[in-house]
Amino acid sequence: MKKLSHLKRMVLSALVIAALVYLYSVSYRVTNMDFVRLVKDAYKAREFVSAFLHPDLFTRDTETVTITTTFPIPCDSAPISEPVESGPRLVTSVPCAGEKERFILEGFDMAPSTEIAVRWHFPDGRVFTILRTTTDADGHFSAEVEARAIAASAGGVASAIEVDTYIPISGLKPSQAMKDVTREIFVTIFMALFSTTIATIIAAPLSFLAASNITKRGPLGTSVYYITRSFFNIMRSYDPLVMATVFAFWLGYGPFAGTMALTVVTVASLGKLFSEAVESIDPGPIEALQASGANRMQVVRFAVIPQIVPDFVSFIVYHWDINVRISTIIGFVGGGGIGYYLSEKINSMVGYNQAATAIWAIVIVVWVLDFLSAEVRKKLT
Amino acid sequence: MLRIQNLTKVYPNGTQALKDVSFEVKDGEFLVVIGLSGSGKSTLLRCINRLIDPTEGKITWDDIDITAAPPAELRRIRRQIGMVFQQFNLVKRSSVMTNVMNGRLGYANPWLSLLGIWPPTDKQRAVKALERVGIADKASSRADALSGGQQQRVGIARALMQEPRLVLADEPVASLDPVLSHSILHYLEQLNKEGMTVICSLHFLDLVHRYATRVIALKDGIKVFEGLPAEIDRAKFKEIYGEEAQEVRATTVEASA
Amino acid sequence: MKESEPARRSPLLAGALSALLPGLGHVSLRQWYRGVAILLSFLVLTGIVAWYAEPLISWDSSIYPLLAFLAWFKFGGFWYLAPAGMWLWNIWDAASLAGCGRTRTILIPLLFGMMAAYGIGWQLVEVDFSAASLDRAMAIIRPMLYPDMVEERRELNRMWTYVSVPCSATETPPQARREEDGKVASATPDCAKLSEALTVSVSGMWPDTDTIVWWETAIGDDKPLGGNENAPLIVRTDATGSLTVVIHVPSTVMIAQPDPSLMLQHRVYFDQYRPLGGYQITSNGGFVLKGMMESVTMALMATTLSILLAIPISFLAARNLMGGNPFTLFIYVITRTILNFVRSIEALILAIVFVIIVGLGPFAGVMALAVHSVVALAKLYSEVIEGIDPGPIEAVKATGANWLQVARYGVIPQIVPPFTAFTIYRWDINVRMSIIIGMVGGGGIGQYLIQWIQINEMGAVGAAFIAIAVVVITLDYLSAKVRERLV
Repeated sequence: MKKLSHLKRMVLSALVIAALVYLYSVSYRVTNMDFVRLVKDAYKAREFVSAFLHPDLFTRDTETVTITTTFPIPCDSAPISEPVESGPRLVTSVPCAGEKERFILEGFDMAPSTEIAVRWHFPDGRVFTILRTTTDADGHFSAEVEARAIAASAGGVASAIEVDTYIPISGLKPSQAMKDVTREIFVTIFMALFSTTIATIIAAPLSFLAASNITKRGPLGTSVYYITRSFFNIMRSYDPLVMATVFAFWLGYGPFAGTMALTVVTVASLGKLFSEAVESIDPGPIEALQASGANRMQVVRFAVIPQIVPDFVSFIVYHWDINVRISTIIGFVGGGGIGYYLSEKINSMVGYNQAATAIWAIVIVVWVLDFLSAEVRKKLT
Repeated sequence: MLRIQNLTKVYPNGTQALKDVSFEVKDGEFLVVIGLSGSGKSTLLRCINRLIDPTEGKITWDDIDITAAPPAELRRIRRQIGMVFQQFNLVKRSSVMTNVMNGRLGYANPWLSLLGIWPPTDKQRAVKALERVGIADKASSRADALSGGQQQRVGIARALMQEPRLVLADEPVASLDPVLSHSILHYLEQLNKEGMTVICSLHFLDLVHRYATRVIALKDGIKVFEGLPAEIDRAKFKEIYGEEAQEVRATTVEASA
Repeated sequence: MKESEPARRSPLLAGALSALLPGLGHVSLRQWYRGVAILLSFLVLTGIVAWYAEPLISWDSSIYPLLAFLAWFKFGGFWYLAPAGMWLWNIWDAASLAGCGRTRTILIPLLFGMMAAYGIGWQLVEVDFSAASLDRAMAIIRPMLYPDMVEERRELNRMWTYVSVPCSATETPPQARREEDGKVASATPDCAKLSEALTVSVSGMWPDTDTIVWWETAIGDDKPLGGNENAPLIVRTDATGSLTVVIHVPSTVMIAQPDPSLMLQHRVYFDQYRPLGGYQITSNGGFVLKGMMESVTMALMATTLSILLAIPISFLAARNLMGGNPFTLFIYVITRTILNFVRSIEALILAIVFVIIVGLGPFAGVMALAVHSVVALAKLYSEVIEGIDPGPIEAVKATGANWLQVARYGVIPQIVPPFTAFTIYRWDINVRMSIIIGMVGGGGIGQYLIQWIQINEMGAVGAAFIAIAVVVITLDYLSAKVRERLV
């Protein structure tokens, strides 16, 4: 007898293990797990990660100062330039060169520690940027340059090497990205504020319909109770982002669609929490006030509301916190706010620094609100 | 004069809580109702101010038929009947002052009271009521910050706000320890001496002997005894509480308050 | 009472101090908390309004300063009333506090703050109820109520004939008549212009059956023939299986035709359906099931991966294990900081990064979910470890057990149930998240959902919505049950 049950257990656990193995093998195939690729292509994220560490926060107004020297290719095609002895100047290791020869370009007495751009200025007026670099503390730089065929002299006029120096003329000021992100962050916070407010106004009365101690009386009350309950449970199962896709399709892309989607889902989850708070109220004070001759309104005002308001406020603050998090990403599916800015910058492939600004802003806002909402809720209970 | 005639209560689930109970309470009495848990004491008290509607029977109070009163009339009657509860029934998150003011709702202007605006005389009355039960210093505390005995005093102050002619006390001391029990009942006794009629349900027999002017006993919803406290001897006790019961003395300590 | 209390400070002084800097008057009266709170909220309020309101550019350049001011006031300057009101209240409050020791209700500044917050927010959020067209909403919701999930299994009986549009001046059109399997379809005349009437008939079809008559253009576009060219034309065959009906050539059949005089062969179709009994899953329904399975398995893989990584990390993030010496404490602080940081980045944002690395598809979604779950689980696990009761460990040690036995009988029984509960909870969350992660290219049902919405396949969207609700509610229920048992 004992042996049999032992056998049964072994078979059962073997079956469970087999089921798990099957489940995982299916999952593995369905999800296209490919760790080799993850490691091999990890370099693709390098640009993104480095941008992430250099968010676009500040900018300076700059003035561009250009110095130039002519450089004939090949040597006898045009007159060589007179060497300059002082002031910001460019010096080449050879005065002229044949095609494909390499030479050293140096700059002296330029603005120290400043961004510069070096380029060819062809005789026909077109320009070709060679490199971008920074001068050292003495205002000096040097670079190896190839005398390319494309820069050959034409009609007795030599190509020139030009160096642009970007000299800052103002202090640091917020960059465009920072201004945009600030605006979008405000939009995001207000989206959460609005959706939570509207949801509270709708959910508070609805929650009484979904509270068994208030509504579940008689066949009509019972059916109202179950209808409201199911509405809350079904609506709660949709992520606001899923809702937002439909709302963006209806109302057009933008924060309004995101706010409405958030509102619908928040009504459901606040409604459920509220109704649970209503269900847990103590009937004693209601009885006491009825016994003292208070009317129905007075009973609600003095026996029901004081019992539920602290819970309600705590849930509202908690949901506002959640809604801020969600409104940071609801823009990905057309809901407006910082998410839209972020997805736009990432998809453009050149806006990683701006995207980094947005992500940092999100992190900070989420942290601050997390802290504040925890403090408020601690005070309430 | 409160007259209860043939009072019967059957709950929707079929429980018969009261069976044909009749008695009279004269003004100025301290009537104590005794009986086992579930014998119908709470139902009886709640029928008097119709927190529970009796199935059959009639309750008249100074020729007013309470059982037939329409809602507005009923509220006017209720505001003259104070009630004290076993679980105090305070709004725990509201202040003591608000809880006491709640006793005045039946008199207040219904609209102004919703906004929390009270006549100054009511506020003075509340302060006096709190002073009377000795917790005026706690007026601004939250109700759940108070001890059980203090909470019951708030409950009495709330009943006092109604300026009642009749006080119903449903097991007012069942959740309190013996010393506090005496202190609470002492307040009720004082009110009784000032002319209020008190109907009180109690558990401990020694408290009944100490405070009651008259006693009725319920068993399974039927009135099995009516008389003076001194008439309850061992035999009567066994009859009311059953053969298994042992008399437990609450305490002999006199109330200090 | 207040009359008997003498004024301790000059209300004028306190008011003046608060006018100078909001809250300063309160601070001078030793109301530190109130003063600082007033200052902070005043600064935040002013900051928001200043950031939102247009700067007063044309103030001195304008010839009509009053007009310029009114214009500025209208475009955002109005909101300066909020901080102004709060400033006035703060003076009043400070003076009152100094004069009679009573503070004034904070309802007033709260009202000002809310006025600014909701007023500015209303405009930032671009609330536009005129966009909320009910007709459009119904057009979206109605097809969702007929989810494209299962259909009746049915048999198709189809016949068609050529019709030439338009008539050519030079060519004779081929005869508009076809025979096949005993069915005959024809149209008279053989060719027609746009919107011209044609008599089409078919015979040899199923008798007494509704038949859909529709038009296929030369390039293969379907055109309905009923209503105002927007509804299917349905005609019933007679007892012999024939029907004759007059149709009009749809006005749009020559769109994308470069030469309008060129005669092309269009087709008129006659379709009959007959139920075969039973139901089958539609093709979109198949995608819903496939996507849902993808989402659930994504969540499973992500949760499994995250358990493996979260357990070792959680030990590093447990204070009671790492608090021993400065080095381990340092590791603890670093781990906690990283966990807190990554936790505040939504999985959706991580998904975008992984899409960049491994391309579109469920793997990117799994990795994003896994990373987010690792940090979330590691934090929960470490809290469990921090909450281990030393009592049982002591008891096991006291019996003379060795290190392994202590771990097996003193530690593991304490941490396994909460670990499991948290893991199941996480799986539950991951299923919800895997649904939305597809919307940014992470695979799963979200990917299909967002495509269907973009091409207006609302029936399929309805099916996806039902699938999501069923799966989420079921898993919610199951995980709640399991956790109830464990805790």
